[in-house]
Amino acid sequence: MSAVTDLLQQAVEGLGSGAVYASLALALVLIHRFTGIINFAQGELAMLSTYVAWQLMASGMPFWLALPVTLAVSFAGGMLVERIVIRPVRGAPELTVVIVTVGLFIFVNALAGLIWSFTVKDFPQPFPDGGLDLAGVRVDWSTLGILGVVAVVMGLLYLLFQHTSAGLVMRAVACNPASARLSGIRVGRVLMLGWALAATVGALSGVLVAPVLFLEPNMMGGVLIYAFAAATLGGFDSPVGAVVGGLFVGVAETLTGAYVHVVGEDLKVGVPFVIILAVLLVRPQGLFGRAAVERV
Amino acid sequence: MSEPVTDVTEQNFLEVRGLHAGYGQARVLQGLDFSVARGEVCAVLGPNGAGKTTTLRALCGMIRGRGSVTLNGRELLGRSPEQAARLGVAHVPEGRGTFNDLTVEENLRIGAHLRTGSGWRGRARRAVVAADLERIYGYFPRLRQRSRQAAGSLSGGEQQMLAIGRALMPRPALLLLDEPSLGLAPLVTRELFEIVRAVNEEERTTVVVVEQNAQLALDIAHRAHVLEAGRLVLSGPAARIREDGQVAEVYLGVSVRSRKAG
Amino acid sequence: MSTITAALGTDRARRRRAALTALLAAAVAGCVPFYFAPFQVFQLTMVLLYAVALAGLNLLVGFGGQISLGHGAFFAAGAYAAAVMLDRYDTGHLATLPVAAAGCFLLGLAFGVPALRLRGLYLALVTLAFAVFLPPLLKRLEPVTGGAMGLTVDKLQPPAWSGLAEDQWTYFVVLGVTATALLLARNLLRSRVGRALRALRDNESAAEVMGVRLSLHKTLAFAWSAMFAGVAGCLYTWVIGFVSPDSFSSVLSITLLAGLVIGGLASLYGPLLGAAFVMYVPSVSQDLSEAAPGVVFGLLIIAVMFVAPTGLAGLPGRVLGAVASRLPRTTAAPATAAPDRTPEAGPAPSTPSTPADPAVADTEPVGAPPRTERE
Repeated sequence: MSAVTDLLQQAVEGLGSGAVYASLALALVLIHRFTGIINFAQGELAMLSTYVAWQLMASGMPFWLALPVTLAVSFAGGMLVERIVIRPVRGAPELTVVIVTVGLFIFVNALAGLIWSFTVKDFPQPFPDGGLDLAGVRVDWSTLGILGVVAVVMGLLYLLFQHTSAGLVMRAVACNPASARLSGIRVGRVLMLGWALAATVGALSGVLVAPVLFLEPNMMGGVLIYAFAAATLGGFDSPVGAVVGGLFVGVAETLTGAYVHVVGEDLKVGVPFVIILAVLLVRPQGLFGRAAVERV
Repeated sequence: MSEPVTDVTEQNFLEVRGLHAGYGQARVLQGLDFSVARGEVCAVLGPNGAGKTTTLRALCGMIRGRGSVTLNGRELLGRSPEQAARLGVAHVPEGRGTFNDLTVEENLRIGAHLRTGSGWRGRARRAVVAADLERIYGYFPRLRQRSRQAAGSLSGGEQQMLAIGRALMPRPALLLLDEPSLGLAPLVTRELFEIVRAVNEEERTTVVVVEQNAQLALDIAHRAHVLEAGRLVLSGPAARIREDGQVAEVYLGVSVRSRKAG
Repeated sequence: MSTITAALGTDRARRRRAALTALLAAAVAGCVPFYFAPFQVFQLTMVLLYAVALAGLNLLVGFGGQISLGHGAFFAAGAYAAAVMLDRYDTGHLATLPVAAAGCFLLGLAFGVPALRLRGLYLALVTLAFAVFLPPLLKRLEPVTGGAMGLTVDKLQPPAWSGLAEDQWTYFVVLGVTATALLLARNLLRSRVGRALRALRDNESAAEVMGVRLSLHKTLAFAWSAMFAGVAGCLYTWVIGFVSPDSFSSVLSITLLAGLVIGGLASLYGPLLGAAFVMYVPSVSQDLSEAAPGVVFGLLIIAVMFVAPTGLAGLPGRVLGAVASRLPRTTAAPATAAPDRTPEAGPAPSTPSTPADPAVADTEPVGAPPRTERE
């Protein structure tokens, strides 16, 4: 009995970290749907947002006020990044755009170090201590809180995309930018909006994971790999897939670390590598994605 | 859409003067001059590579051009496609360009996107869009049956209908059709052209249609221009061009043969 | 006709100039260790060995059009192969080079097979994930790799007959290997393999139609590329005499890509220039701040991609080309602003085309084929 409880316990912890991967994966998927590229700087942008939140709280702002301000800053930051860094290489080969995001990755990482130094900072846990006891399985409030936040974000995105005209326009741009322009849609603005949304969703992942990992410029490096695995598993075109993939990767990582002794805690980071490789070889479009048509 | 701003007569609603355009080093158009009257259907004909599609692309801002293109007295060159669309140019590109992930009705709603710019909000806007949808479904009853279906699941003819329907949603001043018959069965094509004729007659929409199938286009067109190697070689009333045996042999015969070959 | 003979003439002249340059470079390279302090010679040695890794990466990224964010892993594999051989089997330095090269070639081959099925973007994901996974794996394999403590092995020692100091001897050995490797890379690119790779990069489907054996060449590109990285890693062990998992974190992989991009993709000299960046940017800017190298690298990469996608090595050619193409072509200004200045309160938003409007900035032809370069 206790073995089962233990397994469930591990799974719950996995869901907690999986929710963080899910939100960063969601950000990756948003960008990918709009621009067809993978934003290697997504994790670093989230880290930068987390520093903004930290700075706001350090200057005396309570967490629940600092959060919306941070999200607003991230939204604006996402727009700026698209306008300044990505727009100039729009239409360039994929390789160029991806290298630009790698450059952004390096730059943002160093910038955070330059401003806030590389020393590790404490980040407050927004959710209360303690938790629920469900038949011997302990579910922390923080785990529930993170899952709740991701669920709310999913819900909001669904409403935005399926039930607003702005969302319809965004889907049209993601589907066929050339036709969207011919219909009078200002595609540049819509892409800015897409990057802004992604930066905002990504910022949440940073803020949620910071209390666990502690805040430092390299905090999101590992999370990014897990988010890549999540997005690959779910399919880079599917927001739902990103969330399901994130939760799966979180649970798989925790269970593997706990039960597969060859792997253990130290080699857990091999799990996303194996997942990415396996998914790309067996079903490259992911669980929820559609088969990609090679653009020639 | 708006009052004439400069000295525009009904005869040169769309006026193209000295239009040069191309792709990179390849200069396709070598100085085109023609005008289209308001409410007219104008066919642009010619063999493959003559520059028909390039002409349309230059008109709608997809590629840059030199010279001058005015619609109702406003310069179109130097504008982006979205700006041209806002000035009332609706381009249905070759290969249709539908939003395949979106439903038929969502596609049409995207067409109504420009209505947002008109300053209507809330209920008034919804009413206008609903009326436009009814209008389009009136022309294309088949689209109404498929309104909840993804555009990607439609047949080629239905996709072409959807593309034209979407372009007509904002009541454009100028409708540009690029090879609407491409890849469609003759019966479907005929139906499509009849609808375009109906739209033109009911809404007085000015239409420029590029076609390989000269006979079809000449059936609905008022005027026709024949392009060869980036230059206008012949212009005139569609009826006269249709009946001119020499023209048919020299230019249109060529186009019919090349169509079969391609 | 006259233009053809003129072209032939310049071609011959170019060849003569190239030979002269090579001779001059060899002379300079030969004199360097006698005029610089040992530490500077050591730095130059590092530049040379990084150049080998970058030349390999260049085969893959610059010519093959695939992205690897995990080349640090092959570099590490080569370094560890050499270190383990020296540490456990005491094989002597020379024997480690072919083993590291062959080992990494095979490793690359193994990676190249799955890489076949991945689009460039996804390959970047897999390789980055591998680069992140490698250090903990090296730590785990403690009995062989020495775990987190790493392995300390003998550096290269100058033979008595040479009369050279350690840094000078090492420099010459690395110089020899690097020169050989760069020549090999150059010849590879001029062979059928290189032509096939370029065809693949520029248009995969078209190349396939033309009869380029896609799978074979993609896999081989990866293998060759990994081999070069492995050789560089082996040289690293010879020079530094110490390997540890933390020397080969994912930062190394990303820095290698950064160096290559800055030096110049798809250029023969790009790897040398890029290697200088990999070596000197951190050592120069680190005095300012720990973060400075990253800021410099990040900004440089973005700047290079904006203004000169062919990197610094390609810059002179691009500038010349741009000037040449500007001169005869008196481009008529695109149609002047519309004469719609008349006040009109119509419903249509008649935005005059001012550059402030972001929509105006993207006048990219929608239907035009994707550009490979920006002007």
